Amino acid sequence: MNSLAGMLTGRLSAAQVVDGIEAEHWAVCGRIPQAVVFPESEEQVAEILSMSSEEGWQCIPGGKGGWLHGGQPPQGVDVVVSAERMNEISAYEPADMFIEAQAGAELEVLERRTLECSQWIALDPPGGERGTLGAMVAVGAAGPLEAGFGSPRDQVLGATLVTGDGRVLGLGGRVVKNVAGFDLLKLVTGSWGTLGMITSVTMRVHPVPAIDRSLLFKGRDPAEAAALACRLAQAPLSLAAVELLVPGDAESGANASSPLVAVRILESVDGADEAERLVSERAGIEPFQRLEGEQSAAIFENVRAMEDGAELVLRLSLLPSRLPELVEMTSRLSGLYDPTEGWGMRLAGHAQTGVLRVMIAKMTHSTDGLDQARVVLGVLRRSLEAEGGSLVVSQGPPEIVGALGAWGESGPVAPFNAGIRAAFDPASILAQGRLPQ
Amino acid sequence: MENILPEPLTKKLGDRLRGVVGDAWVIADADRLLAYESDGLTAYRKTPLAVVLPRDTDEVSRVMGILAEEDVPVVPRGAGTGLSGGALANSDAVIVGTARMTDMLELDPDNRLARVQPGMINADLTKAAEPYGLYYAPDPSSQSACTLGGNVAENSGGPHCLKYGVTSRYVTGLTVVTPEGKIIELGGFGREPGGYDLLGLFVGSEGCFGIATEIEVRLLPKPEGVKTLLAIFDRLGDAGAAVTEIMAEGLLPAALEIIDGPTIRAVEASVFAAGFPTDAEAALVIEFDGIEAGLASDVERAVVQCRAAGAREIRIADSEEERLALWRGRKKAFGAMGQIGNDLMVQDGTVPRSKLTEVLARISEIGVRHDLTIANVFHAGDGNLHPNLIFDRSDADELRRVELASTEIMAVCVEAGGTITGEHGVGLDKRRYMSLVHTPDELDAMRDVKAVFDPRGRMNPGKVLPDLPDSAGAAV
Repeated sequence: MNSLAGMLTGRLSAAQVVDGIEAEHWAVCGRIPQAVVFPESEEQVAEILSMSSEEGWQCIPGGKGGWLHGGQPPQGVDVVVSAERMNEISAYEPADMFIEAQAGAELEVLERRTLECSQWIALDPPGGERGTLGAMVAVGAAGPLEAGFGSPRDQVLGATLVTGDGRVLGLGGRVVKNVAGFDLLKLVTGSWGTLGMITSVTMRVHPVPAIDRSLLFKGRDPAEAAALACRLAQAPLSLAAVELLVPGDAESGANASSPLVAVRILESVDGADEAERLVSERAGIEPFQRLEGEQSAAIFENVRAMEDGAELVLRLSLLPSRLPELVEMTSRLSGLYDPTEGWGMRLAGHAQTGVLRVMIAKMTHSTDGLDQARVVLGVLRRSLEAEGGSLVVSQGPPEIVGALGAWGESGPVAPFNAGIRAAFDPASILAQGRLPQ
Repeated sequence: MENILPEPLTKKLGDRLRGVVGDAWVIADADRLLAYESDGLTAYRKTPLAVVLPRDTDEVSRVMGILAEEDVPVVPRGAGTGLSGGALANSDAVIVGTARMTDMLELDPDNRLARVQPGMINADLTKAAEPYGLYYAPDPSSQSACTLGGNVAENSGGPHCLKYGVTSRYVTGLTVVTPEGKIIELGGFGREPGGYDLLGLFVGSEGCFGIATEIEVRLLPKPEGVKTLLAIFDRLGDAGAAVTEIMAEGLLPAALEIIDGPTIRAVEASVFAAGFPTDAEAALVIEFDGIEAGLASDVERAVVQCRAAGAREIRIADSEEERLALWRGRKKAFGAMGQIGNDLMVQDGTVPRSKLTEVLARISEIGVRHDLTIANVFHAGDGNLHPNLIFDRSDADELRRVELASTEIMAVCVEAGGTITGEHGVGLDKRRYMSLVHTPDELDAMRDVKAVFDPRGRMNPGKVLPDLPDSAGAAV
């Protein structure tokens, strides 16, 4: 056991610390931590972080480790603090429409529990259901349902955060309307562990709609499907999701070969038929497939899994009406991968929010290839930024994300970001480098 | 503490400010400053040093730069309809008002976005979006008077937040002038900037971090249909139970509002009479919106729940006219209460919905004990209570009892798992209750974050955060 792991063991118990080979699959963007520690209470988290502040150990808060390979590489990785053993549901009040759980609770477990009372957490972040609640909030991950229900920032009612120096802060609460002081909770969502370790989260839940129906429309090519998705996003009704799905180059099955637009309708029984009529009218064509209930949900579960096994994941953004331009721009990425390797490149576009997720199975790995990728992505980012958009490298080889940064420059707000970070993590031990300065 | 007479605006500072905005838009004479001495919470009155009314981001930036150089505190102000004293300025502070910044800067129906100046009235945005079949969702009761800049500062709510959420869900980008006069952009639809959600942090910061000078908001398609019904109850608790049952049924109404007996009687005695039975103890307004075809079954299910909870009468609006009539009693409640007492303390707290009945009973008991009339009109669906304490400011003892009762009501809300303000903000009035819901560490974290934006503490000083225990400034 290395000395760092030994010191942590001294403070906790041997069963709560692993190092060496066991720490290998907790690598953060390819860097193996000296120790992985599994606290079982808020107090233990506070103790670990206070100790790390004193010792100057670089800590990466995590859940079950699903997101550790993604995002921007940290400057150092001494300790991964996993919330895995803090996974209890602490309160669920269906009448008050909230559920409160420890950060390590799996989304799947929360889903099962809320379904018993015909409620659900209306979020579908990438990575599937085995991810933890804390990780979803920490990375602020959202999927197609963001259009209808908002992202985690809109649905998190409260959270407990242990700061870098071990202070335990209760942020927000259990009620939807709450303006008692500055909204520090907003800072925590999407903070990638840089402000503290989230130890518990209170989420808003929604009633399960009577009808879950997906209408699938076919486009001849990605451009046509993107134009259709835009048109549907502008339909005069609130739709739960309008998603453009372009399968990978090598995914040419019976139905999978052509690009699709999937419209998700979550409505009452009578409302769903009328919504379907309005959507079809707007589309100008009939859906080629109409999925109901579990099948409808399954289509969107697939969207969540689309990043699995991808080596490079990008998020391109512009105003929603410009989704076709985003799709067009992906042709610039054709030199970065070999379309015959794995499934090639997939696209998933959130038509109401203007985000296009690009997934590439396997990049060209020669030195030239990586250099070229850096150049192409850098140019693409600059052209999107010039148009008011952005390019996020949410997952990729460390050589690329490290050089480009997952996000673009923060610009004039950088000093505010730095000031906030210093207030929550005075010893600079938390996930340094995981967010742009 | 010695009472220091206010220093009038110096000629030098006045000239510099006039040089930016023009002579007409710097107000420093006592008569005209009277209009700025209080906001919607009339219990507090303070006269500012001066009021400056810039026209755009550039003028705000220059004004803020000058005030920073001269080390003068700044209080931003919209229409002054706030209910927590947040827009009040001490005699050494300058109010920067947004009254002249009322332009629609951009309306983009395809992307359902609008970019506006902060002085635009909330209702005017919906009016401008209407021709495109769009509207702006957050609808505070003061929407015909309050400004969008004020809504951003307070993270305002309204009756329809139950289904649609509060202001922060709709603000997608801001141009902000910092206390030092720098112009920064926060957020922006169609981009995912890295770093913290400073946009989300700024919304609801009550003018303590800077001034929003341009606001980008998301608009929604107007729902195809709206159905409104009114259920009359003999007991307030039964109306509360009906709310719980409607939500438990899996329904998500656009609004669920309760008006209690004293409020009904005040409304019916006023020019706003809406035809509510004056012997009732609660009226529950329920509204559903969305696809027309789906509404009838929602209404039916709500009716069943109301009857089961003991509603003695249910009215369903069949026309837009009838619908507006049902809402009249709710929307005009504050105006009507103004007619039964000289002064009104509109309280604001949130409790988990299932605790409504219990908390309302305790509030009623607090009123009896302090010999005060308390009328309740509130957003029942999201547990956001508005107990209204009616009093006469010239009666010192009554004023004292209002203070006591307010404090007790806040404590009851917190004890029930709720909070001290759901939508009116902390401002000046609720600083003293902040420690009921936040630990010293949490308050310190808020202080630290404020200092990041406003290191010299010049931005809306004395608001939101209580004074430190060892500081010289006495709590209000």
